[in-house]
Amino acid sequence: MNGKIEIIIRPLVFILLATILCGIIFEIAGFSAILMFNSILDGAFLGSRSLEKSLRWALPLFITAVGVGISFRCGFFNIGAQGQFYMGSVCAVYVTEYMSGANAVIVIPLGMIAGMTGGALWSLWPGYLKLRYGVDEVITTLMSNFIAGLILVYVTSGPLKDQSGSGQQASTKILPSEFRISDASGVSLTIILITISVGITGWLIINRTSFGTLSSLAGRNPTMLKYQGGKIWQLGLVSFIISGMLAGLSGSIELFGPSGRVVSGFLPTHGFTAILVALVASYAVIGTAFSALFFGGLFSAALFLPIFTGLPTSAIDLFNAIIALLITARITLGKKFLRNRWSHSHD
Amino acid sequence: MIEFHEFLVAILRSGTPLIYAALAGVIVHRSGVWHLGLEGIMIIGACVTIIGIVLTNSFIVAILSAIIICIIVSILQWFVIEKLKANQIIVGLGITGIGIGGTAFAVESIFGSLAAISAPFGIPRVGDTFGPYSGLSILVFIMPFAVLSLWVLLLRSRFGLRLAAAGEHPFAARSVGANPSIMRLIAFCVGGLFCALAGAELAAGSLQIFAQNMVAGRGFMGFAAVIFGGGHPVGSAFAAMFFSIVSVVGIRMQIHLGNFVSHDLLLCLPYIVTVLGIWIAARAKGRTNSASQPSELRDQ
Repeated sequence: MNGKIEIIIRPLVFILLATILCGIIFEIAGFSAILMFNSILDGAFLGSRSLEKSLRWALPLFITAVGVGISFRCGFFNIGAQGQFYMGSVCAVYVTEYMSGANAVIVIPLGMIAGMTGGALWSLWPGYLKLRYGVDEVITTLMSNFIAGLILVYVTSGPLKDQSGSGQQASTKILPSEFRISDASGVSLTIILITISVGITGWLIINRTSFGTLSSLAGRNPTMLKYQGGKIWQLGLVSFIISGMLAGLSGSIELFGPSGRVVSGFLPTHGFTAILVALVASYAVIGTAFSALFFGGLFSAALFLPIFTGLPTSAIDLFNAIIALLITARITLGKKFLRNRWSHSHD
Repeated sequence: MIEFHEFLVAILRSGTPLIYAALAGVIVHRSGVWHLGLEGIMIIGACVTIIGIVLTNSFIVAILSAIIICIIVSILQWFVIEKLKANQIIVGLGITGIGIGGTAFAVESIFGSLAAISAPFGIPRVGDTFGPYSGLSILVFIMPFAVLSLWVLLLRSRFGLRLAAAGEHPFAARSVGANPSIMRLIAFCVGGLFCALAGAELAAGSLQIFAQNMVAGRGFMGFAAVIFGGGHPVGSAFAAMFFSIVSVVGIRMQIHLGNFVSHDLLLCLPYIVTVLGIWIAARAKGRTNSASQPSELRDQ
């Protein structure tokens, strides 16, 4: 029981700490920290319709973060969510391009499947290199992000370029409205249903399958898993595939949903934020929902930050980075207050 | 022959920041920590150098402030990893985020927009006596000596042995009276110095410009060079040089093959070669099947 309280209080303490640190930095830089946090709170959660806007960013973050959590839980630092997200959207946009005449009921599911496949394949090769040859997955997934980013630039400015575009930003053609599952607000019944089913599936995989149990054992104690007869390479590969699939799914939802097209270099911080979401939630699905809402809210507030407080949007990136810096710290508060629960996910 | 000189100049230009970054990675790597914050500290070095030149009009002040700030950020990274026992990889990414977000924040709050800042002058050039190499900055010519002195420091000195002991076998380090924690702190400080030089050379070496996110993965590539070079200063420097040769060749290929292969796909080349490089390094080291990583400091 104590563990459950820790798992909730711990991230809150670090978020508070990051808030204070950030506040100090902003004050030094000559901005009003109080005004800023007020406007973030207002822009993210309290203002009219702001919750809906937060949800628009929270839903894709949640889907990607569930996947990230599954691979981190297994002890694999799959940092490539960004690239997998891009590859998912690229694969989905190719499907819509080649099936533009077909019925939307066929095209959208196929596009999502293509997106999931693309994401899964993009995470499969670093996973395979890791498990077969011991190539460190942190570097390969980081490099895969850069490669995927360039592939995205290539696709949006080359084969699928929208010729009628303004030329400011390379992007693909905007999808016809029957191929969209939501309007620009990004919140629709379909997307919410997909997100909820991802959440339920993720929860079941983690808590109700042998894969879930074994993979968290693999993350905690690979040696023990070995002598229990578990196969690390099977678990690892599956966790890589699942995390890639979910990131790809979220990329394709971005295409069929709010964006309606693929823009070169869109949402460049999505993957990193998803990793943070998963870390803050200690890889638990229900926690991920809350932390996705929190970071989604931050993101949506960040868009309005320059208007209300004069503070640059990058302030939120700084805030997120400070949370990343601190979130895995093992500070003991009082008498072993935050001790055991956290350490398991890294040892 | 002129073609060859141009090629060499291009390689030295793109390779020097990478080599300095790799050197920073090497010394920290030998102390037992994976330095994934290279990217972030490098961009801070680049940003501070350019802002320093613009604001103070003095190169010396700019580079010194870049070095000091990079060392402070490195100490921050050391503190979180060593004292707060946080996960090295996530902390490294956090430092990278702080670098990218923090420089954007600084540029926007000082200059009011995110546009690239250009400085009136950069790092002093070596001058006309060097013929075709006159456009290179002095940091390029210091680089071989930096590699050599790091080699001496790490492999031919008592300090280097103690540092390696702190990384591989902290118990042994303690038994000869070296505190592993302090050794890592020193390693991070030296790493900060090299990161500052890497950033300065990148931003003020030839371009004299600071643009958003201009490091573009070079820090991570420098880290990959550390792995490829097996944590050896000379090996890692050559690995970094190799990556930069590939990226220069990629740029050259755009001129010749531009009509057949897309420009963006050729830009992938250094990243792909980096993956191949660490793959080779992993194969040379032998197959490992575990998920274990140095996310924990070996301290006990």
